[in-house]
Amino acid sequence: MAMAMQAEVGAVNGAEGAAIRTRGLTKFYGKNRGIEDVDLDVREGEVFGFLGPNGAGKTTTIRTLLDEIRATAGSATILGLDTHKEAMAIRRRIGYIPGDLALYPNLTGRDTLTYFANMRGGVDWSFVDELAERLDSDLSRKVGDLSTGNRQKVGVIQAFMNRPDLLIMDEPTSGLDPLVQREFQTLVRKVAAEGRTVFLSSHTLSEVQRVADRVGIIRDGRLITVESVAGLRSKAMRRVEFVLDSEADVSDFQAVAGVRDVVVSGTHVEMSFDGDMGELLKAATDEHAVADIRTSEAGLEEIFLTYYHTEREAE
Amino acid sequence: MAVSGVFLRAAHDRWPGWAIGAVILTLLLLFGMLAYRDVELSTFSEFPEAYRSLLRIGDDVDVGGLAVGYVFGAFGGIVVAVMALVMGASSIAGEERNGTMKILLANPKSRTHVLASKAGALALLAGLAVFALWIPVQPIAALLDVEIGGLQVEAMALHLFVNGVFWGSVAMAIGAVTGNRNTAIGATTGILVLSFFAVGLLPIVEGLEELRKLSPWYYFDGSDPLRNGVAWGHLAILLAASAVFLAMAVAGFNRRDLKSQSVGTTLLDRLRGNPRLNRVIGRLAGSARVSSIWAKTVSDHQAMLLITSAAMFLVLGVLLGPTYAGLSPEALSAYEALPEELLALVGGGDMSTPEGWYTQETFGLMAPLAVILVTAVMGAGALAGEESRRTMGLLLANPIRRSRIVIEKAATMAVFAALVGIATFAGVALGSVWGDLGMSVGNIAATAALQVLVGLVFGALALAVGAGTGRTSVALFGAAGAALAFHLLTSLAKISDGLADVAWLSPFHFYLGSDPLRTGMDWGNAGVLIALSVVFFGLSLALFQRRDVRLSAEG
Repeated sequence: MAMAMQAEVGAVNGAEGAAIRTRGLTKFYGKNRGIEDVDLDVREGEVFGFLGPNGAGKTTTIRTLLDEIRATAGSATILGLDTHKEAMAIRRRIGYIPGDLALYPNLTGRDTLTYFANMRGGVDWSFVDELAERLDSDLSRKVGDLSTGNRQKVGVIQAFMNRPDLLIMDEPTSGLDPLVQREFQTLVRKVAAEGRTVFLSSHTLSEVQRVADRVGIIRDGRLITVESVAGLRSKAMRRVEFVLDSEADVSDFQAVAGVRDVVVSGTHVEMSFDGDMGELLKAATDEHAVADIRTSEAGLEEIFLTYYHTEREAE
Repeated sequence: MAVSGVFLRAAHDRWPGWAIGAVILTLLLLFGMLAYRDVELSTFSEFPEAYRSLLRIGDDVDVGGLAVGYVFGAFGGIVVAVMALVMGASSIAGEERNGTMKILLANPKSRTHVLASKAGALALLAGLAVFALWIPVQPIAALLDVEIGGLQVEAMALHLFVNGVFWGSVAMAIGAVTGNRNTAIGATTGILVLSFFAVGLLPIVEGLEELRKLSPWYYFDGSDPLRNGVAWGHLAILLAASAVFLAMAVAGFNRRDLKSQSVGTTLLDRLRGNPRLNRVIGRLAGSARVSSIWAKTVSDHQAMLLITSAAMFLVLGVLLGPTYAGLSPEALSAYEALPEELLALVGGGDMSTPEGWYTQETFGLMAPLAVILVTAVMGAGALAGEESRRTMGLLLANPIRRSRIVIEKAATMAVFAALVGIATFAGVALGSVWGDLGMSVGNIAATAALQVLVGLVFGALALAVGAGTGRTSVALFGAAGAALAFHLLTSLAKISDGLADVAWLSPFHFYLGSDPLRTGMDWGNAGVLIALSVVFFGLSLALFQRRDVRLSAEG
């Protein structure tokens, strides 16, 4: 995939500056944990995917970065500026889509954008129109009359329109149809290609994989790991199914690194796999011809468990 | 299930509000009896007939009758009716606005069933509230040694309950037909205010007395049920009218499309649809209103400002001038004989002078009510409103300081309060000219200015509570409750020596305490009100600056 190759190129860039940097960032809501001890480094010019199941602390992290809520402990900087003390300077340089976006229902899309544009001293309207056209967004309708997806488009335009140095987006593609999601991903890559930074959260790996250079996984308020997408992909747990031309045997596959739980029923083989796909294919085509192959992504929890195992084994 | 889930849910969601209403009314009863007990009441019977009609004072004046009549009659009637109308308006239209109606109707329940359940819940809660209000009447009277033996409290309570059901039905019908909660609340409140005043004012204008029978309020307390017992005919009329409104609600709700999310369509929006007008109107309705935070705040609250200002200007300003001029001379001369303390007892207005008339009718209750309505709604909505609607996060991602949001919204609130004050001033001044009453324009301006300032105090209080908690309802009801309590204190302090010592605790003391309509501006009082507003405003800045922005909606 072209997108994936681009991603790998991006990962090498921008090691010099930190777009986002947190140290020991902790937020408690009373006694309830939001996030704990998060050390995050997002490089300038990269697309960083922030991945975690619901309630893991993605939104808490983002809201702390934006000075919406204040950290219980630890520190954070954005573009080298303190997120609390220099919040104003930061806000001039960022674009933001909150999770579960809410806009003013009585305003049209264009009114909404005008409102926010005026706070930044204006906007390049030809760029806004270009964005609206790309995302197929009707800006003349009232936001309250729009469907969730069409409302989200207004939010996306709002975040991109000022060409910010850093885009922070909390589950930005929720509600968008696949076609628009693709368009969104193109926009994200363009931002990165211009040397600007994108930080986006998601709970699905596949979505992040397509655009991100690196991925951070958060769970139960703690940052579990940060990994390049390429690295993650090679580690990522998948379900793999083969339909072969002849009856297979478990031993045909067990030798391949990363294969687990092989189940054979006649010509049908199923397994969990987190190794190199090339090797697996080689093993499969060694003695059989492959009639059909199907792979599906494992859930985030499974991937996390894989990591958990590897970490334990490493110790 | 015999009892529907919709019914229980509606009753469960709303009972705290009704409970608060009942508690406030009970306190009022207690304070009322305490305060009235201290004064000599025999002179009440010297009041002219017309005046007693206006104040709903019966023929036999006694402490128990005054207190119970006040709590169950005028005041209780309004409180119960307003609670019922808010619940009625929210029952259908409110769920549509929240987007929960479509989920509700996806269940195997017909629209008629939903409506009937909501109406049942309304009746149940109104009944319980009135019952809760009735229970302590005898014990309180016994405790304070106040004689209420001759009063038909049960009859009055029944009237109070039926009146609540009626106004709830009106609001429910308008909400069910239009699907717009604000329209339902606004229209029903308008009808309620008009009908309340019609019953009080029409009898004192010669030749118009019979017209009061057109007002629904007449069938609530027109028969004086506290003394004459239940007027079954009147109750039947109210119940029949309620049934008609509920039938309208069923018919209207079953016929129309469900709204997905209620988006107000203003007149400007409609005009904007016309391509020829679009360019001009577009600026007004669109780009101008989103040019800044304060411009948007102006636009968001324009309807409320227009309605409130128009009501103050027309009804409570201009029209009261000629009404006063039309009062019979005999009635007016009767007032001149009344002692000062007695006038204080009923709100301080000496009706033999136009100043007293306007103080009583306009500036006493309605003027501060109108301006506080505007400022408290705006103050509560300013910060907590953006948080409840979850737009604050996005707003704060822009290069705007938190303090600037507070300042711009507070400034808009101040301007709106001033506009209500100007409308009141203009209305009263015009009414004075029209009725040839010869009031001092400067004094009218001074009183209106103090009205604006007292509005700002409670608006800033709502802003501060919202800034501290992020909850609109806490801010709004906190400020409204404080206003109610202080207004009560100021009213009762006039007749109770014990309370007079602490009268200065109430902001309202610095509003009309100096009788500004007669004596002109009291700069000291104005200074106190300004200082209070500034303190609350400063508190808002400090509280909001420090706090986490709330993510979730109310709850």
